Amino acid sequence: MPTSTINPRFVLGDGGVVRGSFEALRHVVSVAVEKVRRARDKQGIVDSVTRVFLDAIDLRPTSALLINTAREVLLGLKSLLEKDIDDNELRTRVVGLLESVWARAWSANDSAARIASRRLRDGDVVMTISYSTGVLKAIEYAVRSGKRISAYVLESRPGGEGRLIASRLSSLGIPVTLIVDSSARLYMRHVSKVLVGAEAVAANGALVNKIGTSLLALIANEARVRVFSVAATYKFSYETILGELIEIPRLSPETILPRELREAGVDAYVPLFDVTPPEMIDAIATEKGFIAPTAIPYLLRDMYGKWPPEPPSPRSLAEELVSMVS
Amino acid sequence: MRIGEDIRSMKIRGAGRIARAAADALRKAAQLYTGGDLNEFMRYMERVASYLVSTRPTAVSLPNAVMYVMNRLRGAYNETSSVKELKTIVVEAAEEFIEYSLKAVERIGEIGSRRIRDGDTVLTHCNSSAAISVILHAHRQGKNIRVYATETRPLYQGYITAKTLAKEGVPVTLIPDSTVRHIMKRVDKVVVGADTVAANGAVVNKIGTSQIALAAHEARVWFLVAAETYKFSPATILGELVVIEERSPLEVVDRDYLEKNPNVKVLNPAFDITPPQYIDAIITERGLIPPQAAVMILRDLFGWPIQEHDIKGFEESEPLD
Repeated sequence: MPTSTINPRFVLGDGGVVRGSFEALRHVVSVAVEKVRRARDKQGIVDSVTRVFLDAIDLRPTSALLINTAREVLLGLKSLLEKDIDDNELRTRVVGLLESVWARAWSANDSAARIASRRLRDGDVVMTISYSTGVLKAIEYAVRSGKRISAYVLESRPGGEGRLIASRLSSLGIPVTLIVDSSARLYMRHVSKVLVGAEAVAANGALVNKIGTSLLALIANEARVRVFSVAATYKFSYETILGELIEIPRLSPETILPRELREAGVDAYVPLFDVTPPEMIDAIATEKGFIAPTAIPYLLRDMYGKWPPEPPSPRSLAEELVSMVS
Repeated sequence: MRIGEDIRSMKIRGAGRIARAAADALRKAAQLYTGGDLNEFMRYMERVASYLVSTRPTAVSLPNAVMYVMNRLRGAYNETSSVKELKTIVVEAAEEFIEYSLKAVERIGEIGSRRIRDGDTVLTHCNSSAAISVILHAHRQGKNIRVYATETRPLYQGYITAKTLAKEGVPVTLIPDSTVRHIMKRVDKVVVGADTVAANGAVVNKIGTSQIALAAHEARVWFLVAAETYKFSPATILGELVVIEERSPLEVVDRDYLEKNPNVKVLNPAFDITPPQYIDAIITERGLIPPQAAVMILRDLFGWPIQEHDIKGFEESEPLD
């Protein structure tokens, strides 16, 4: 197997740190742009783009954002190949395509965050887990519109991304309290809203997100605190409509096991994500609006004009493209 | 008092171990006393007792152990004029308590293990000698069991649990605390220890316990608490709240983080409270009870109705001078 074109550190993270999927996408797009600029010919361009995106999906197969943007890029590339343009022109157009897919996705995230921010009220106390750019922006918009918001942030083991988002949130000038994951239930009674990001949203409205999210949602439900996810429609997993299960990647036991315990024969289980059932989520903030998680099929039918939508898989698209230029 | 400092700094941790360490500290203090004045000896012992009780606010086993020894001493005080005799009484009471405590943990293991079936997967949190006793008894009976041990942030006491069990040949898998709901489907029983059991059956234990109980409840997984009876709090009958100890932020983040993020507040509570409705049973050395029967245990131990003076000498004791 050829080595990956992508540095896993920037797509998945390091030592259990899960990067926001938009950060991962930003990295993937810049690597692709770089490679396309250096590609010699049509074939080189197609090889670069397909490899970079397929490698990224291999590294982070849970990320609906990576899968959906890969699909968008590859479909765009296909229609460019169908046009009769020379290599140089193609190179320029593909770079433009990559940047515009990134810009669309990022702007969808921004709109979703803006919509989520409207649900935050003056005086709200938000609890969040892991590092989500959508959550960060939603709180930022609420604060900018003059609402007083404070936040409890879970440390988010094993990666500890909570430390980072706590730091970013406190630079908005709002009161931020960092706690260990185990403290969520103890403090839930002081919380008025739970806001989380999304790795993927399945066809039934189930939310795949950083490990601990489903526990947090359960705790919020028990305390009758609302749970919102900020998830642009780029986070919807079309594959699950046809019954695909989302496999949860896990880290190696060494990530959390000290050597002494390994030698004593202790094992470790370190899943990166978990699945929150739709009934535990009050609403998902998308760029199209604030919807119930179980209303996703309706939204998708509306976007695609039919049900079920049948988007081609990035892998089969990639194969098609490669055969077009070889 | 080095033992007192070790309890405070959590070098000695786990409610049972703390209780035994406190009894042992009283014993040593009595042995070290060199004077001959009866009243002075009593004042000295009361000071030691108050100091020990002050080292950790939440674990009731600590004042209960101190009370066990001190009440014997106070009872004997009026009947003797010999310091030597009083010292002997302290030493005996302390040794009795320690022996009782160790036996209790064994007995809890025997009783609790009957609730563990061959093939069960057990989840445990933090590091509890009573919970480990339940698991090890089941294991030694030849039952094939697997254990998930939570890391238990911020101090990772799960490491000690995992190591202890692995050494005994129990298959153990360490998991981050945030994984408990995700994994609950694979778990048959949760067994945890307790720092304090309140009069209504609520259990005060290591932070995170209550959300594990919630996740177990949701998945209809049995949630068992292993607790010696000296962890039951008589003061809660009189309406006292159990104080949740707040510990240093430096157990959660490093100094560098705090300096770079002066506006991030870090809270580090050591315990939380699991409501009785999420607890299927409390396993004590006197038998398995529903949490709501905690009041029965308290009545047996402290009489009924419990009077302020019965429990005085630990909750609100003042040094004599």
